[in-house]
Amino acid sequence: MKKVIIGGGQGFWGDSNDAAIHMIRHANLNYLACDYLAELTLSIMQRQKLKNPQAGYARDFIKLMDEVAKESFDKNIKILTNAGGMNITECVSQLKQVAEAKGLHGYKIGYVLGDDLKEQLPELMAQGVKFENMDDVGDFNDIKDKILNVNVYFGHEPIVKCLEQGANVVVTGRATDSALFLAPIMHELGWAKDDWDNLARGIMAGHLLECGGQGAGGNYQYDWRGVPNMDQLGFPIAEMTNDEFCITKAPNCGGIICEESVKEQFLYEVHDPANYITPDVDVDISNARVVNAGDNRVRIENIKGKPRPDQLKLCIGYHAGYKVVSYLSFAWPDAYEKAQYAADILMKKMQRKGLRPDEVHISYVGLNSLHLGVADMNPELIKNMNEVVLRIAIRTKEKNEAAKLIPEIAPLQLNGPPGASFFGGRAHVQEVIGLWPTLIPRDAVKLSANILEVK
Amino acid sequence: MKEIYLMDIAHGRSGDKGDTSNICVFARDPKDYELIRREVTPEKVKAYFGDMIKGEIVRYDVPSLYGFNFVMKHALGGGATLSLRLDSLGKSMGSAFMRMKISVNTDIEVN
Repeated sequence: MKKVIIGGGQGFWGDSNDAAIHMIRHANLNYLACDYLAELTLSIMQRQKLKNPQAGYARDFIKLMDEVAKESFDKNIKILTNAGGMNITECVSQLKQVAEAKGLHGYKIGYVLGDDLKEQLPELMAQGVKFENMDDVGDFNDIKDKILNVNVYFGHEPIVKCLEQGANVVVTGRATDSALFLAPIMHELGWAKDDWDNLARGIMAGHLLECGGQGAGGNYQYDWRGVPNMDQLGFPIAEMTNDEFCITKAPNCGGIICEESVKEQFLYEVHDPANYITPDVDVDISNARVVNAGDNRVRIENIKGKPRPDQLKLCIGYHAGYKVVSYLSFAWPDAYEKAQYAADILMKKMQRKGLRPDEVHISYVGLNSLHLGVADMNPELIKNMNEVVLRIAIRTKEKNEAAKLIPEIAPLQLNGPPGASFFGGRAHVQEVIGLWPTLIPRDAVKLSANILEVK
Repeated sequence: MKEIYLMDIAHGRSGDKGDTSNICVFARDPKDYELIRREVTPEKVKAYFGDMIKGEIVRYDVPSLYGFNFVMKHALGGGATLSLRLDSLGKSMGSAFMRMKISVNTDIEVN
């Protein structure tokens, strides 16, 4: 029976390339898919592109390809990625240079254009698209003049088209993470686009692989101490046939694949397990089973699918003001009391100088900055704390307003409670980007599949 | 009766979509699935997190995995970069959940 073996090479933009390189060298892969895009990534890439027209994509992918392009081409391992981000053509052009430098004659680079809908926004508005926020907050009119990027999440179709034309690598923008995995599996196993149960299996293969190491023992709450060799953590690999769907990992690397590690990723960032909605299929994992099937091997069963939605998700990034975050550390004795006093000084200074932030958030690193309201605030614990770091964050509409807080922090070393220590240099004003998730009709989106062949 | 941490009988992971946080929770031992189902209700979770979570909490039960998925709206202080929290993506929401205390019969075997 035909089997497709696909690896997940990246969990996010900035992830390590080590596991992907190891998989290309030592696992018997047919495909490697690398996901670089989180919700906010495209907005950040758009900012980079506005500053430098040659930026706006995941350059890390080019570095990875510099390592693996030749070996993957020789072994006929095909690679899929959404590293194109906001500048797909530049990513493709850099990739072409890598392939040329390595003498990969006949290397075919597939790429998908059309997910960037910013220019089409007025036209879509004229057609009556309302852009209502899926989270039921806000009025679109308040953000429509502050928009940075507008990208549609799309599914397998244009990626499959590239593969049908013989692409060795496929570069996209906002393809869904899971479509990068579903597309090659469908292409190999010949699944129809309305074979909902199988499509759902392919999506879940992507879902379990798209976060890289997190699917193989990274960020593993069940038993993190029991994960072998986290310093060379392998990333997960899916093996798919029409009958069987297994998760495993490459030989000779760290990490763990077992029922518990797979389950933690299985529902990660899923909402209703009976309706995990993607552009390709509405996935039902509410009766799924995860079964140990050998050493670092887990079998996934009973995934069902329902017809895909008529609408596609659109993610709009918009300018939402500015923020400043700064830190000041205090040591025993009375570290927490001193840090609280310093926070009080800063609040009074801001008020006196007419700085009125939209929001202030004060927390104490080492005590409650992560668990916030459910942190253990036992007075006996607090009394003997060795040290604590005051963290103050403010958000404002105007940049110069936010900047007013910056010069107030460092002076507290000499002008505040004893033993304050300032580190990390002066804070800087950061732009705040808001996200506006909405839906548009599927037929409003025109995507193109293209091929560039290296001579 | 005695109190234990949810961590003693469960494990899971938190993730984010905008300002929505989801935490999946699995019984470490299938025998504790029913206990978690009974004790860790959306109402109790809402009361536990208090101000940290401004929106509604829905629990989806997945008995075939001995697990649950808690979906919590307006849970991350605005989400993405709008949030001023250190952990704006809620990576530590999973462990924050796990330190919730639940009441069990004293004869229960705790891992």
